Amino acid sequence: MTIKSIHGCIGCGECVQSCPCDVIRLDPGSGKAVIAYPDDCQICHLCRLYCPVDAIEMSPEKSLPVITPWG
Amino acid sequence: MKPTRTCLALAAVLLFLALPLALYALAPVPGRSLLKEALSILTVLSFTLLLGQFFLARTIPAVQQAFKVPHLQALHRWIGYGAITVLLLHPFLIVLPRYFEPGVRPLDALITMLTNFDNLGVLLGLVSWGLMLVLALTSHLRMRLIKRFHIRYRVWRGFHAVLATGFTGLSLWHAIELGRHTGWLLGGFFGLLALAGIALLARLYMPERPRPAAHAEGLHI
Repeated sequence: MTIKSIHGCIGCGECVQSCPCDVIRLDPGSGKAVIAYPDDCQICHLCRLYCPVDAIEMSPEKSLPVITPWG
Repeated sequence: MKPTRTCLALAAVLLFLALPLALYALAPVPGRSLLKEALSILTVLSFTLLLGQFFLARTIPAVQQAFKVPHLQALHRWIGYGAITVLLLHPFLIVLPRYFEPGVRPLDALITMLTNFDNLGVLLGLVSWGLMLVLALTSHLRMRLIKRFHIRYRVWRGFHAVLATGFTGLSLWHAIELGRHTGWLLGGFFGLLALAGIALLARLYMPERPRPAAHAEGLHI
């Protein structure tokens, strides 16, 4: 698992929509994002990049550098 | 023995700067970039100083005697303006690091954040932000308001106290609900500080109990 933790989530659902592997879900009780399927994470960083409040932390030791088309 | 100015200033630095910084460092959350940590620390310290405003008023006679009322008022005013400026900018400071990172654009992040009305923490933050703005404006324009509405200074002071108490409750709830570092340590510290401050303020507005006559007690005051 690369997503380490989620702190300060506002429940906007941007990470859920941006995750291509359905790793993150919104908890129906709290309305906040939870790491539902950690083993499916493909380390694409999209959830972290699209979180408006920067709530998602990745494990640096397992992370790959972010690959962007603009270098 | 009366506490000296130095003693009180040292206690204030320990309580409102050193202790929150220590509790911030102890929060079990992963570290981030220097800019993000600096912005978080600035926000946490501003909120602590704003809670500390309850203690920098007429609430503690020892502080009032040591610093004298005009100095205390000036300190209260400038700390208030400084802390409120940071906290008013705090939603924008959250998205500031996005200018230096790939991903969502800062303006898009801000709009997503501020329009997420389903989240209680965000709603509390928006209401607190509005209350804080009213608090700052009514403080800055207090003399004009008093003249314009023909109210007594005591009435304005009561309004200021009620507004400050309402803001403190809502903003504390917002901080505990959404704050990255406000776990049980820092959140508990904020809660205790707010409770103590509001209790001191409430004591000022309690009806005074009649004092027992000195001669009846056999005392010479």
